[in-house]
Amino acid sequence: MDVPVIELTGIVKSFGPVDVLKGVDLKAFAGKVTALVGDNGAGKSTLVKGLAGVQPYDGGTVKYDGQEVHLHTPREASALGIEVVYQDLALAENLDIVQNMFLGREETRFGTMDEGTMERQASETLQGLSVRTVKSVRQKVSSLSGGQRQTVAIARSVLKNAKVVILDEPTAALGVAQTEQVLNLVRRLADSGVAVIIISHNLVDVFKVADYIAVLYLGTMVASVATADTNSDDVVGYITGSKTYEGKNV
Amino acid sequence: MTDSHLAQSARSARLQQLTQLATNQSTILVGVMILLTIVFSSLEPKFLSALTANNILTDWGSVALIAVGQTFVIISGGIDLSVGATIGLSGVVSAWTMANVLGVDQTIKGGEASGALLIGTLVSVAVGVLVGLTNAFLINRFKIVPFIATLSTMGAALGFSVIISKGAPIGSASNFALISAIDPKVNPFSWAVIVVIIVVVIVGLFLHKSRFGLYTYAIGSNSFAARAAGINVERHLTKVYVLSGALAGLAGMYVYLRLGAGSPSSGTGRELDAIAAVVIGGASLMGGVGRMLGTVLGALILFTVQSGLIMIGVAPDWKKVVVAVLIAAAVAVQTLQSKNRRTA
Ligand SMILES: Nc1ncnc2c1ncn2[C@@H]1O[C@H](COP(=O)(O)OP(=O)(O)OP(=O)(O)O)[C@@H](O)[C@H]1O
Ligand SMILES: [Mg+2]
Repeated sequence: MDVPVIELTGIVKSFGPVDVLKGVDLKAFAGKVTALVGDNGAGKSTLVKGLAGVQPYDGGTVKYDGQEVHLHTPREASALGIEVVYQDLALAENLDIVQNMFLGREETRFGTMDEGTMERQASETLQGLSVRTVKSVRQKVSSLSGGQRQTVAIARSVLKNAKVVILDEPTAALGVAQTEQVLNLVRRLADSGVAVIIISHNLVDVFKVADYIAVLYLGTMVASVATADTNSDDVVGYITGSKTYEGKNV
Repeated sequence: MTDSHLAQSARSARLQQLTQLATNQSTILVGVMILLTIVFSSLEPKFLSALTANNILTDWGSVALIAVGQTFVIISGGIDLSVGATIGLSGVVSAWTMANVLGVDQTIKGGEASGALLIGTLVSVAVGVLVGLTNAFLINRFKIVPFIATLSTMGAALGFSVIISKGAPIGSASNFALISAIDPKVNPFSWAVIVVIIVVVIVGLFLHKSRFGLYTYAIGSNSFAARAAGINVERHLTKVYVLSGALAGLAGMYVYLRLGAGSPSSGTGRELDAIAAVVIGGASLMGGVGRMLGTVLGALILFTVQSGLIMIGVAPDWKKVVVAVLIAAAVAVQTLQSKNRRTA
């Protein structure tokens, strides 16, 4: 098997006396979707925030393309091409789509912001993702639907030429049609060579889109399997702790 | 939908934004200004005069400076209560320096003292920067909410200005009101007001055209998103509070020039005028929303009301009532607008 783009080993993280991550291992591969599942409070978002550099880990190693790296700030993660679409979306509602997509890395020309270039690139990116529902890239994000916001957040990571895209419950608040669209988007993203990690509580979605499934249970990775080698019942068992995975982790 | 279609609708949306800007808050505010002018001048014809305009604009100058800084602070999701006290403190410190170190006294006319005044201005702004740094330190380092942090520095600044001045104005108000001394003709726009307008325009462009301004909106809108995008939120907020402090220092010098003295109480309550101007101008205390033009017009309306009421012989206390109504109306308009936007 290829070298994973991301390889986490023995990740630990505590908030005061609470150990949230207790030695977690996780791999993500280029062109593949890895689903990260687990019950509420299992530590999924915490694991992801460490990778994004917004909430550094207390211990463990992070390898990127086989090289050990340290992720202490969002800029460091971003420089490696790691982009996160957060559970709570992390878009600035009062800014428009272009401003959100370019936030933190605006195109400038002669010291002022190059609105034209940014507008064009934003449109092209949305176009490339076959997004048709957005009327104008100058719409404020507050006027968008949940699915459209999710799309903007994903497009933001595409625009950054991300190598690793992590999506924290991208379909949690979406209706059937919009969920379908976002899952298609996730698949296309992986097919373009990006390593995708997706967190979801919806196992139907997970089985539809993921190549691998990693199950987190109370801060421990209890199973890490290829989707083809498992089934929904087993995964539910791992999530709730009623079943133990006996096989070898991917 | 083709790519050019998206880009085109982006352009038309930008145009729409422009027209919206025109139809929204600012137009309403200009309308209010015109209405006020018509009402006051029909009740008191002398209201329409260079002298009245001069009075209103001169009052406007000091509050415009701090309101412009306050606009940044409020858009960033904070509030700066210390600006009024900073006017007093910076005025006192700068007056003390000019009197005791540079030897400026009452017999010096404005024109002869320009070197000293320049140093006085620098001192005044430096004091403001120091207050701003203190605010930012309390907010970033100790995670004190801006309201409380700036309330504390407001108290401290007031205390220091009374201690330094021993409670009395430094300098003499009699012959030394420099704004009129330097240019005694009564124009609507005194030279000091023109300086304020230049500062306001520059800072306004800074808010609406620069990356700094954009990040201010982003932080006020969603500070986690800003952080996740790689913006150093703490450092940005430090700059915002320093800007607010520096402008309050500049306002301190303005008020000194106006009174001819540095008085510890010269800025008391001005922070509320500034906040009122920003809110009337369409900003949201929740952060992420606000326009510089709105703030400037908001401040102008405040002093037009004040001046007009005095001239038509209404007790000045009515100003507070009128301002309260304006604030409530501004917030109501804002709520309606955001409701429209959501359903659009
Ligand atoms: N900043 C924090 N301070 C203290 N405790 C925290 C913090 N962030 C997370 N936790 C705790 O860590 C645990 C794991 O939280 P996390 O958000 O990672 O769970 P999750 O797996 O994403 O859950 P969900 O499915 O509900 O999103 C929870 O018990 C939570 O209360
Ligand atoms: Mg979570």
